[in-house]
Amino acid sequence: MSIEIRGVHKRFGDFVALEDVNVSLPTGQLTALLGPSGGGKSTLLRIIAGLEKADSGTVGIEGTDATRMSPQKRNVGFVFQHYAVFKHMTVAKNVAFGLEIRRRPKDEVRARVDELLALVHLSQFADRLPSQLSGGQRQRMALARALAVQPKVLLLDEPFGALDAKVRKELRDWLRRLHDEVPVTTVFVTHDQEEAMEVADEIVVINDGRIEQVGTPDSLYDAPANDFVMSFLGEVTQLGDLRLRPHDIHISRSPDLVGATAADILRLTRVGFEVRLVAGTEDGQEVSVVTTRTHARSLGLEEGELVWLTPSSGAATVPAMERLVRAELAG
Amino acid sequence: MVELPVPARWAVRLAAVAYVFLLVGWPVITLAQRAFADGFAGFHAAMSDPDVTHALLVTVEISLWAVVINTVFGVGMALLLVRYEFPGRRVLSALVDLPMSMSPVVIGLALMLVYSGRYGWFGPTLEAHGLVVIFNSPGMVMATCFVALPLVVREVVPVLEEVGDDQEQAARSLGANAVQTLRRITLPAIKWAVVYGVVLSLARSLGEFGALKIVSGNLTGRTQTAPLVVEQKYDNFAQNEAYAVAFVLVAISVLCILVVSLLRPQEESTS
Repeated sequence: MSIEIRGVHKRFGDFVALEDVNVSLPTGQLTALLGPSGGGKSTLLRIIAGLEKADSGTVGIEGTDATRMSPQKRNVGFVFQHYAVFKHMTVAKNVAFGLEIRRRPKDEVRARVDELLALVHLSQFADRLPSQLSGGQRQRMALARALAVQPKVLLLDEPFGALDAKVRKELRDWLRRLHDEVPVTTVFVTHDQEEAMEVADEIVVINDGRIEQVGTPDSLYDAPANDFVMSFLGEVTQLGDLRLRPHDIHISRSPDLVGATAADILRLTRVGFEVRLVAGTEDGQEVSVVTTRTHARSLGLEEGELVWLTPSSGAATVPAMERLVRAELAG
Repeated sequence: MVELPVPARWAVRLAAVAYVFLLVGWPVITLAQRAFADGFAGFHAAMSDPDVTHALLVTVEISLWAVVINTVFGVGMALLLVRYEFPGRRVLSALVDLPMSMSPVVIGLALMLVYSGRYGWFGPTLEAHGLVVIFNSPGMVMATCFVALPLVVREVVPVLEEVGDDQEQAARSLGANAVQTLRRITLPAIKWAVVYGVVLSLARSLGEFGALKIVSGNLTGRTQTAPLVVEQKYDNFAQNEAYAVAFVLVAISVLCILVVSLLRPQEESTS
């Protein structure tokens, strides 16, 4: 295991940012710390980097106890949401910073900077100032700067948070490919579940200073440990006593399945190939259902029609009780 | 911005220009006219008086010391105020601004109370160890530092706040220690604020009168500074010389501010 967090607590005044956090992040993988804002994920990342000190608990990096190490001794690369570029230095100088601090020979520095700028596709911008780059380019430069010192772990704090949607998507794919090329242990913080699911090998869901669940994107989506994880990873609706995804509800025009619930279609909206409908049951429950345009048409769904709803076979469901399970899934 | 109607816009501009002209521009121009009323006669008379040249040297020397000390402590204090949370931070911040609201004469008297060799609280002890503060250069440097204290701090603090500490944290995570981070990241980021603060301090130090008059003892040929010479010459009906020395002081200050305001925008547009 590359990063070992044991019993970490952190408070800011009265606010509990992290409460007894235990987690192990495997070597060579791309891990996402996912959760809502203010949930403690950035604090955990900053504690790993040494930019913040835990009130108690230990941090191990590659087998060494780093709990009391200063950030400059930890050999971690850190990428900030707002890039933290050195404004007065050229792109090449930015990337060379860590190597110059380490007093590497000039030739070596130059060769390594060239190599990294090629890796992040910024070779032609080597002599520009960061202010002449776009947001996406600045963040790639910041990544090259962090990678230059060959860190044991690369930590990214909401790395694409300040970028617009299109650039965000490009950089996301690019980060995934980069990680496959340069397989350094990488941890990134995000509040965007799509980003986490698309990029990460493993996701750690953090909420209210606690770890809710750890697992691969598929296992989290298919077998959420609790209500929170389920609703954070995608849309959720309630049918009877079950909480499940709107696209996991089977619609039929007759009560041919056991346990089917009768409901009237209250609203029906079409978005591209998708049809979203809200159906009201006899108990007054409003159930959201998502189906395809084709399926809706074949069933002849209209507002006001009566339909029968059942959970599809193989649907991921959790009982509709708030925080019934708070599984300790660390490790 | 609210667009004003054209006549109102012109009226506001005119009022602003007139205000500054009547308050600052006209008096300074008149001073320059008087200084050159007899060509360079006033300058010749002033510069051939050893007391005047000595006073100018003392002013420059005291000002330079004060500016150096103020810069080091000003930058340090700004870093302390912006980057660290500690009990008493607000009190320190308020104390830094105090010289702005205190009359320099009062500052001079306050320093006398503490450092005077005869009746000061701390002065006799220092004099016993051979350090004469009052009526001597150390006291004059202290008085000048006191009056110019907020100038560097107040220039640097907003810039430090605006820059944030992201770059410093990035430098630390890349292996830089505190000194390397300060030298390579923080100082370059606040460079222009420091330069501007230094220039303002210098201009302020060169012109300091009240505090220095008390603390220096105004000893002609020894601790007398240029602004004190101006007053003395004026009182002694050597008005041409007074205007000439005054003009030199104004010219240095204007030059400093001019140079920096010419340099600064260029730097910003390329960065």
